[in-house]
Amino acid sequence: MIENSNVIELKNIETFYEGEKIPVIHDITFNIKNGEFVSIIGPNGAGKTTLLETINGLLHYTEGKGYVFGMEILKNKTEIRKEIGYVIQNFEIDPLSPFLCKDIVLSGRTGKIGAFKFTSKKDWDKVWYSMGLVGMIDFANRSVGKLSGGEFQKILIARALAQEPKLLLLDEPFSNLDFAARKQIETLLNRIHEKQVITIVMVSHDLSFVPNRCNRVIVLDRGRIIMDGKKQDILKSEMIHKIFNGNGKKK
Amino acid sequence: MIEFPLSLLTVSILGAVLAGFACSTMGTFVVRLNLASIGYLMSHAAFAGAAFGLMISIDPMIGAVIFSFGTAIILGPLAEKARLQSNVVIGFLFSFMIALAFIFLNYIPGQAASGTALRILWGSIFSVSNNDLLFLLLLSFILIIFIVVFYKELLAVMFNRKLAESSGVNTKLFYFAVLFFTGFAVSLSLQLVGGLLVFALIINPTSTAYQFLYDFKKIVIFSPIIGIVSCLVGFFLSLLTDFPIGASIVVISAAVFVFAIVVSPKRRKGNSKKQKLSIISKI
Repeated sequence: MIENSNVIELKNIETFYEGEKIPVIHDITFNIKNGEFVSIIGPNGAGKTTLLETINGLLHYTEGKGYVFGMEILKNKTEIRKEIGYVIQNFEIDPLSPFLCKDIVLSGRTGKIGAFKFTSKKDWDKVWYSMGLVGMIDFANRSVGKLSGGEFQKILIARALAQEPKLLLLDEPFSNLDFAARKQIETLLNRIHEKQVITIVMVSHDLSFVPNRCNRVIVLDRGRIIMDGKKQDILKSEMIHKIFNGNGKKK
Repeated sequence: MIEFPLSLLTVSILGAVLAGFACSTMGTFVVRLNLASIGYLMSHAAFAGAAFGLMISIDPMIGAVIFSFGTAIILGPLAEKARLQSNVVIGFLFSFMIALAFIFLNYIPGQAASGTALRILWGSIFSVSNNDLLFLLLLSFILIIFIVVFYKELLAVMFNRKLAESSGVNTKLFYFAVLFFTGFAVSLSLQLVGGLLVFALIINPTSTAYQFLYDFKKIVIFSPIIGIVSCLVGFFLSLLTDFPIGASIVVISAAVFVFAIVVSPKRRKGNSKKQKLSIISKI
């Protein structure tokens, strides 16, 4: 990858859910450069998750062109996904879930290891490194069902990092977390962006938690981009307060 | 206790061990993927298929495999996209499959075949042939290879399908592999355990293992062990009491499961109502 080249290029993207007649996101155009930390914010139902899942090819766009790492998304989604760490929105985990934290983190490397190949020492080294980076090494042999929301979120982030991604996509990393856990995750994201050569795209409905190292904000509303610029300018703008009432909920 | 020739006993015991292994191994994945409803229907479709096989005078196992695969092909994509309500499966399609089976059984020609028909209904110790044994052995071997080679993919899919897909795993392939292997396990075990009860052998041992273990690898190992032990104890109970073998196996596996619920460390202090509900929903 050439320094400062675009990691993501979207041109007039439109994505529908199967069976729906109105696109969830439309006319989405933006580029994200290598090493950027971008927050995409918008109220609930703005199309933020759809946009992330369009970027990693989980959802197919019907209009426009999308490129990640210079490769067209629809034609190369399996290859692209191996380089994208995806942290899904904090879902409710079954307390009896029979999975150990270390196995969940290792599962992030599944695509990278490839079919018909077994896990090597190098893979486990990446697991221990990622768990150490998020401060969860002591939880390696603990069941994921026994974790708090913040701890589980860290495991999901470690899982994405174990993949050694060039691009990290985070879907609502602060949702369902208390204030202390949110601060921890914010600090962690800043540290990851500082330590790793990585591009981070995070979606959130919460204006109050935009990490320090994030310097660009894209505002999404009703499936369209309505603002794209520097964090300070966007957060001070009047329009943002027309969309949000200060706590992330739509007016 | 009835006396049996040693060779017949050996074949039957091996059949019970392999049926227990195949069904309980698939149960590990069926339970985790919330496929209990569709798997339940597949087992009854296999029963209808076996009856159909008898009606047209072919090997009932072939009919069972065709019907359960047909069910997987038609209903698998619907269940995958959550467009199939489990109460619809149980309420409508289950009764439809049973009705079909009874219609087919009604048209089975000859007296000898009606005995076979009853065997596929509630299972029989005598029904395991050398061919069945060979197929069960082959399926068990393929299952072991499948799990060993694709364990990391299976683990990723079992934890969360969307996350696995986002890491570059073809989750659809593994979803349908689970359905097809389940179809095979059910069809090959049908004559031993019986069409009405075979699905209990998929669910009960895995649900028992879930009561004690937090590590998926251990569940993959212990679920078939519990299944094999349930089958063996059920088999000897059947010999001692002259109960139908399918019913004996299911009663034993259900008793083990109830015992597991009572003594489960997962259900001791600190477990919330929500946790208990999630266990019940898994059953």
